[in-house]
Amino acid sequence: MTAADLVIVLLGVVAVGAGVLVVATRQLVHAALWLVVSFGALAGSYLVLTAEFVAWVQVLIYVGAVVVLLLFGIMLTRAPIGRSEDLDSGNRIVALVVAVATAGVLVTTLVRGFRSAYVPIKDRVGSGSSHTLGGSLFQTWVLPFEALSVLLLAALIGAIVLSRTDIGGAGPEPEEEEPEPRRRPAAPRGTVARRLGTARRRATPDDEDTIVLSRVDEEI
Amino acid sequence: MTPVYMAAGDIPTPHIEYGRLAPVLIVLGAACVGVLVEALAPRAQRYGLQVLVSVVGLVAAFAWTIALGIGDQPHHVAAMGAVGVDGPTLFIQGTILVLALMSMLLIAERRHEDSPFTAQASTVPGSPEERESLVAGLVQTEIYPLVLFAVGGMLIFPAANDLLTMFVALEVMSLPLYLLCGLARRRRLLSQEAAVKYFLLGAFSSAFFLYGTAMLYGFAGSVRLSEIAAAISKQGGDEPLLLAGVALLSVGLLFKMGAAPFQAWKPDVYQGAPTALTALMASCTLVAAVGGVLRVFYVGLETLRWDWRPMMWAVAILTMLVGAIVAITQTDVKRMLAYSSIAHGGFLLTGVIATNKAGLSSTLFYLAAYGFTTVGAFAVITMVRDAGGEAGHLSRWAGLGKRQPLVAGTFAFFLLAFAGIPLTSGFTGKFAVFQAAMAGGAMPLVIVGVVSSAIAAFFYVRVIVLMFFSEPLADGPTVSFSPATATAVAVGAFVTLVLGVIPAPALHLAQSAANQLFVR
Amino acid sequence: MTTMNAVLAAGGPELHPQAAEGVQSVAWLLIALPLAGAAILLLSGRRTNKWGHLLGTAMSLGAFVVGLLAFFQMLGQDAEGRSRLVHLFPFISAGSLKVDMNLLVDPLSISFVLLITGVGSLIHIYSIGYMSHDPDRRRFFAYLNLFVAAMLLLVLADNYVGLYIGWEGVGLASYLLIGFWQYKPSAATAAKKAFIVNRVGDFGLSVAIMVMFATFGSLSYQDVFGQASQASQGTITAIGLLLLLGACGKSAQLPLQSWLLDAMEGPTPVSALIHAATMVTAGVYLIVRSHAIFELSPDAQLLVTIVGVATLLAGAIIGCAKDDIKKALAGSTMSQIGYMVLAAGLGRPGYVFAIAHLIAHGFFKAGMFLGAGSVMHAMNDDVNMRKYGGLRKVMPITFATFGLGYLAIIGFPGLSGWWTKDGIIDAAFEKGGTSGQILGWLALIGAGITAYYMSRLMFMTFFGEPRWDEDVHPHESPKVMTVPLILLAIGSVAGGAFLILGDRFAKFLAPVVGEPEAAHKLVTPYTAIVFALMVVGVGLAYVQYLRRPVPRTAPAGNPAVTFARKDLYGDALNESLLMRPGQWLTRLTVYFDNRGVDGLVNGLAAFIGGTSGRVRRVQTGFVRSYALSMFVGAALVVGALFLVRI
Repeated sequence: MTAADLVIVLLGVVAVGAGVLVVATRQLVHAALWLVVSFGALAGSYLVLTAEFVAWVQVLIYVGAVVVLLLFGIMLTRAPIGRSEDLDSGNRIVALVVAVATAGVLVTTLVRGFRSAYVPIKDRVGSGSSHTLGGSLFQTWVLPFEALSVLLLAALIGAIVLSRTDIGGAGPEPEEEEPEPRRRPAAPRGTVARRLGTARRRATPDDEDTIVLSRVDEEI
Repeated sequence: MTPVYMAAGDIPTPHIEYGRLAPVLIVLGAACVGVLVEALAPRAQRYGLQVLVSVVGLVAAFAWTIALGIGDQPHHVAAMGAVGVDGPTLFIQGTILVLALMSMLLIAERRHEDSPFTAQASTVPGSPEERESLVAGLVQTEIYPLVLFAVGGMLIFPAANDLLTMFVALEVMSLPLYLLCGLARRRRLLSQEAAVKYFLLGAFSSAFFLYGTAMLYGFAGSVRLSEIAAAISKQGGDEPLLLAGVALLSVGLLFKMGAAPFQAWKPDVYQGAPTALTALMASCTLVAAVGGVLRVFYVGLETLRWDWRPMMWAVAILTMLVGAIVAITQTDVKRMLAYSSIAHGGFLLTGVIATNKAGLSSTLFYLAAYGFTTVGAFAVITMVRDAGGEAGHLSRWAGLGKRQPLVAGTFAFFLLAFAGIPLTSGFTGKFAVFQAAMAGGAMPLVIVGVVSSAIAAFFYVRVIVLMFFSEPLADGPTVSFSPATATAVAVGAFVTLVLGVIPAPALHLAQSAANQLFVR
Repeated sequence: MTTMNAVLAAGGPELHPQAAEGVQSVAWLLIALPLAGAAILLLSGRRTNKWGHLLGTAMSLGAFVVGLLAFFQMLGQDAEGRSRLVHLFPFISAGSLKVDMNLLVDPLSISFVLLITGVGSLIHIYSIGYMSHDPDRRRFFAYLNLFVAAMLLLVLADNYVGLYIGWEGVGLASYLLIGFWQYKPSAATAAKKAFIVNRVGDFGLSVAIMVMFATFGSLSYQDVFGQASQASQGTITAIGLLLLLGACGKSAQLPLQSWLLDAMEGPTPVSALIHAATMVTAGVYLIVRSHAIFELSPDAQLLVTIVGVATLLAGAIIGCAKDDIKKALAGSTMSQIGYMVLAAGLGRPGYVFAIAHLIAHGFFKAGMFLGAGSVMHAMNDDVNMRKYGGLRKVMPITFATFGLGYLAIIGFPGLSGWWTKDGIIDAAFEKGGTSGQILGWLALIGAGITAYYMSRLMFMTFFGEPRWDEDVHPHESPKVMTVPLILLAIGSVAGGAFLILGDRFAKFLAPVVGEPEAAHKLVTPYTAIVFALMVVGVGLAYVQYLRRPVPRTAPAGNPAVTFARKDLYGDALNESLLMRPGQWLTRLTVYFDNRGVDGLVNGLAAFIGGTSGRVRRVQTGFVRSYALSMFVGAALVVGALFLVRI
């Protein structure tokens, strides 16, 4: 066992352990922070595998952007920050079974698939560099790369559609703008009853209709 | 594998065949123009400009596709091997473009109300702001570029020659759709719920697709379909990595098609989304998804067909039965058509499973036939309206045949086409697909297909009975006529009839498209 | 003749139709005329209300004239020249799948053409009077024309796809016509029942077509029958059984008979045209047309005869117990088609009699249905025979024509039913062996029961004391209704003799179905037995329904009568075998779907509120359960792929 092997095993243990803590902790913010650790360990593994560019991308995007986004989300939606019993689901056992089963299948498959595929890291030095990746990206993969830019543009437009409040020209009091994304379940308390009312109102005529239709069914 | 370039600045320019990519580029270009219109044009002119840009873009792309189909032979891969522009692809792309154009007529419809889409997406449903925006007659014109982005993704998806391009295309086509699903003008909560579900489950399925891709890369050392095929024939198909990869990839693809057991999203999303968009999804997205399935299974995994066939058999049988049986109890017309669309996905799979030329050409024909009928049917749904928007509940359709015989008759015709009654395109399509499956030795599959179409006929006929043999409701829905929607309905009905009565030319087209098979 | 026999010995005549000439080359007009009529009447709207029915009738008559001309042209040709192809257009042509839309004008199809257009035209004329007060008369004639066009396509197509299109077309037209008086809930229900039961039969036919295509690579009669002998026995038997299933659905044979009795909810001319004379005989046509397949599979043939005999008895028993005049006639129709199916299953000696009985039945049953319609017209649309009685005096023409039809159906010597039904019974005995004896005797017993229930119907309606409701004042129907009755009565009297005497029809049909080995003997030992049984049946009915007064309400009756009144519990059987499981399945799906729909509504509420823990669990469980179902599905897909490897 070389030093690299040892490091990668240790990083793996850290990544998996942090991953377990992400789902096990009772505090939302802690979960997000454990995620940082897990991602970081993963980035370390990439480094050991000489894929330095991927490693830094991992740090920048996942540790830097995604987790920060998550934390902002927690902050903006005024989610409870301390210990919360709500974070525990009643379906713990099922979730555990599913997770273990998935992990089992994947690990088995990967181990069986790659058992003989052994490549010494020394031969691969440079293959994970930004230069190589860039060359590949702008030569072989230029079309998917451009398509990705279209995807980002579409996502941008979508975000504007969902959040823009001044569509009618004069924006109606920007400070009353609701901070949370529209589709989040947690809505301001005042509107709850009203919205429930909407749902009920729609349900009632449907019930009557069902009776009419079941009559049709009986005829058949 | 990838050459390592040591010196800086010596990356050779990639070779891009702009001519072959033109239909995609035109559509995406039109989308970008739409974004610019949104940014620069005055509010009053945006609607007209957006519709103009969209329609011109789609028509131009379609014209170019035809030109490619006629002139550009023999076909081969383009854009550094990322896409394959070949007969089947051009057929699928052409179909998508025409269907998108028809759906665009519905999306741009302004006669029924200001727009089928929400006035202002950011308002909370039921809030005073929402009411204000409705009264002010606002329209979200951003939907046009979004639709074009989605169509662009749909055009790349069936053409993608490697799994990475395919994945990106999948996202390009899905993301705008997730968004647009939540923008219904009426019943916005339902619509938003549908969008969230579609998004979450879609993301989940993307993960499967990606995992499958990764495993296939592990197996073949490449994500290119042709190289995966080569690796399979060289190493044999014994690798667990390969099988697991194929399985997970199939899950991702089958989800987009809405095949059972990955169909759960379809009824909710079809019901919640604005009907004009449902028409787009039920026709264009299905065509694109099946196109992708065809390419993956015909090009990448063809040599492995003895392994995936039993699995696909099971999926096809389950899909046909689930779609046909569950549809029986539906009381919402859009939900019913969603289950019907699931069942039709199963019929399409029987053609895919055949893995022969007849299977390919019959699937292509079926796609076109089904697409036109579907857009027509959803267009009729947008016309039948209550005070609160479309009359979704089936009981509201009772006796429509007595008050609006033409509309109800056309809808009945579409339903008969779905049921596969002769002299409609549905019959020809089913006949072609089933006979291809039969020739491929899938007799039990055909029997299940015929049985489930017999079951399916039941609920289609139930709607016809409801429309023609029930007393009209006193406060029944009205039918709102408008030239654009009527055009979509008429085109749908016309094509459904023509493909049923004289299907030979269209079958020939599908056949000559399928003749060259896919390029690798 | 020797060459002919050699061909026959090799398994039936080879079909090598030549291209049609003269009138036959425009045989497409046969279909186009009524189709155009239907299109004009349906599309033109109320503008054509005034003369729409005349146009419909004219189109049907026009088709009859074309049919007659084609028939005479055919008579002038020798046996080989009697089968003619009319090339229309290539319908489907893609790769290995080639279906040309051609018409085949041969003795078999022209017999049907004449029956359909002839009887059809008479029924059109009759309907002018019968439907004169109906506001939707134009639509009715449009549907009638549509039916005639579809039925003609069914019999004229030279391939199974064309036949199937016609098959579905007549189903659709029948469905529209049964439910024509849709304001009657029973009519709408009956229409649905007919459609659904027919779907089962159609399923058999469509699978048969698929199997044929897979086996022979073509669907034209010429190719299929030409290569039939090369296919394996199992395949041929499977095709035969599937075709039989199709025939059972359309021809109301056991076990798919239940829809026909309910179909009587339609207007009476419809019952006469579709549910007596033409459409219900499509199954017989299918079996006779596919005789090359059935002849290669004795098992399939045996099953055909069993179905035929079972149905002829079941129909007769149902006919005995019905007080509704139309339903009694419907039971009789089932029974008579049972005879035809039996004959069609008997092979070459039977085909001629199957078709001859079909034509004779077309005349006398159509006549009787129209007569029943005339009676109903007089009795304020009451169908209960217990409230008729003594009508012979007030409705002499109806009585006379109905009486002739009655004599024909019970097989009174010399009338058409006698010639054809005796032929079928003889053919059954001639089959030989135990099965021949059983089939023959059962058919004989059926003839006796036929005499009984038809006499019962006759006596209850036209003889005895009037038992009319107070406000009923019976009267003879107008000329436009009685003239068709008279013409049909002439057919019921003379048709049989015309066809059977001197083996005229057998020789005519020989190019299609082959010539029977032995000439038909007019009088056999069984003739006397049939006659004796007929007399017993009539006598029994005389004692029960003429000597004794008929009560106005049905007596309770013994279990056997109840059994028959309930259509032999056919509905109950269908219900327990088909409907109950179906309903359970439906309920199950409703349950799951309700969870879906309710979950959606609940989920929505929770989605908004996010307060109630219980509801929230439903909501989160909801999307999650979708995801879980996907996950399980993915696991199954992975498992399936790995299983194949093991």
